[in-house]
Amino acid sequence: MFLTNKTEAWFFWVFFPLALLAPLFLEQNEFYVSKITTVVILAIFVMSLDYLIGRCGMVTLGHSMFYGLGGYLFVMLAPEYETVNFWVYTFYICVIAAAIALIVGVVVLRTSGIYMIMITLAIAQMCFYFFSDSIHWGGNDGLFIYIKPETSIFGLSFFDLDNVTHFYYFCLLSLFNCLVFFRMVLRSRFGRVMDAIRENPQRTTALGYNIFLFRLASYAMASALGAYAGYLFALQYGYVNPSMLSWQLSGTALVMSILGGMGTIYGAIMGTLVYEGLHYSLEHLTEHWLLLMGIFIIALVMLFKSGIAGFLESLLEKRS
Amino acid sequence: MSHDIVLETEALCKYWGGIKALDNMNLAFRANSLHGIVGPNGAGKSTLLNLLCGTYEPTSGRILHNGEAIDSIKPYEFARRGIGRGFQKTNIYPSATCLENCCIAAQRRIGGNFNIFRWRHNDQLLKEIADEALQRVGLGSRRDTVAAKISYGEQRQLEIAMVLATAPSVLLLDEPMAGMGHEESQLIIDLLKNLKSDYCIVLVEHDMDAVFELSDQLTVMVNGQHLVTGTVDEVRDDVRVKEAYLGQGDEVF
Repeated sequence: MFLTNKTEAWFFWVFFPLALLAPLFLEQNEFYVSKITTVVILAIFVMSLDYLIGRCGMVTLGHSMFYGLGGYLFVMLAPEYETVNFWVYTFYICVIAAAIALIVGVVVLRTSGIYMIMITLAIAQMCFYFFSDSIHWGGNDGLFIYIKPETSIFGLSFFDLDNVTHFYYFCLLSLFNCLVFFRMVLRSRFGRVMDAIRENPQRTTALGYNIFLFRLASYAMASALGAYAGYLFALQYGYVNPSMLSWQLSGTALVMSILGGMGTIYGAIMGTLVYEGLHYSLEHLTEHWLLLMGIFIIALVMLFKSGIAGFLESLLEKRS
Repeated sequence: MSHDIVLETEALCKYWGGIKALDNMNLAFRANSLHGIVGPNGAGKSTLLNLLCGTYEPTSGRILHNGEAIDSIKPYEFARRGIGRGFQKTNIYPSATCLENCCIAAQRRIGGNFNIFRWRHNDQLLKEIADEALQRVGLGSRRDTVAAKISYGEQRQLEIAMVLATAPSVLLLDEPMAGMGHEESQLIIDLLKNLKSDYCIVLVEHDMDAVFELSDQLTVMVNGQHLVTGTVDEVRDDVRVKEAYLGQGDEVF
């Protein structure tokens, strides 16, 4: 089994069955299904950030750049009034995002700590202003995706992107795959080196590892998945907008990751769910929801020092 | 004779601004022997080790490993060439088990470091190398203990085991006995005696008894300058050493 501990297994068997059943309860209401789809997409994004921050020790405040690029790359690459293939473009977008991450990473990874936060933020802001100021790419208003891609693979189409429920299940599957993927990475030999680098970079260099290359590979990997999440988001709503590139999104994702428990990977899902759950319920209570939200976040972080996942682990793992 | 010189420095200098941390150092380290380096605080001993393992770049001069100049290669390449480093402060992975610590060290050589599909815990070869390194330093019984929970002396032993797992030809050890009790020190001394027949060991150490006991060659440094190199007896009888260093008595330590 690829699950590392009881808490993760427990979460796994509670979350995924519930998530699978969720649309059945919400069948009458497409709005809610699309709402939880957004949360699932966001969870993919947060998970990729969680890997970077919690597992590689690279604190970035520019991860939304890749989220936004995922959407914008599709608009830039795909012909406007033709139907394209979903899988082909998924491949393009992930590969290009990874290539961009490799270039950006060469600069970013020369720094660490607070300087890394600054430089990732600066690069992401450059990207933000490039798109929000360029008329050709829609400026402040963004661009519409008029025709959604079709999803046939070898002539078989299993689902329809325009169908809200289909799309929800597809996103859930993507989230599941991401979780499995990161678990696999972490328990591989590559993961061993990443753990070593996080814990003691100096020692790891002295053992003969070129830690720069390992960090760069991780950065590209996480960025490609971040772009994939952005691509799904753009397809769900049928438009791209510079706000996808904003640093506020990076910040929110960071909060979600910390809330869930940094470096636990599955904690990213919990963090996203709790944050978005609070967001949604408070939004309906008062227009000053951000104020309440802040109080809740402070309380949660004070209460769960190592995130929700950390708290659950301290409850469940003690007996074993 | 020259063929068994593993590591050599030629006119090696390191300046920090105007301060000469290390000035014109010409040393040769031979295979299968232990080369002790002593000197008062600030003599440049640690600077020398940091230069030898690539942490610092020399201001001028050359470092030769098996006759090849290696002063301009990257820090991680030193380890790949077989120059292993033990630090002054314990430098291990505290949250991992002793075995895992050594596995990380051994894996670099075994390969598959970028392989995300290969499970980390199922390679027998890797474990054998790691086990062997642990046995060699006498930590076989601590194999599955988390490194943070073993004693300080054992952590120092573990660090040597990690370096051994990288299959080095040169061991650079920076005060492996610092902060240890007498019995723990004796363990390390026995270990080094055992190791020096197989490796070229460069030992920087404050414990004079240990250095005198272990060294085949001994270098005394003062203020970044090379003072004298020779066998233990030669150094002990050297007038300059007595004046500059030993003559001052114990208060230098």
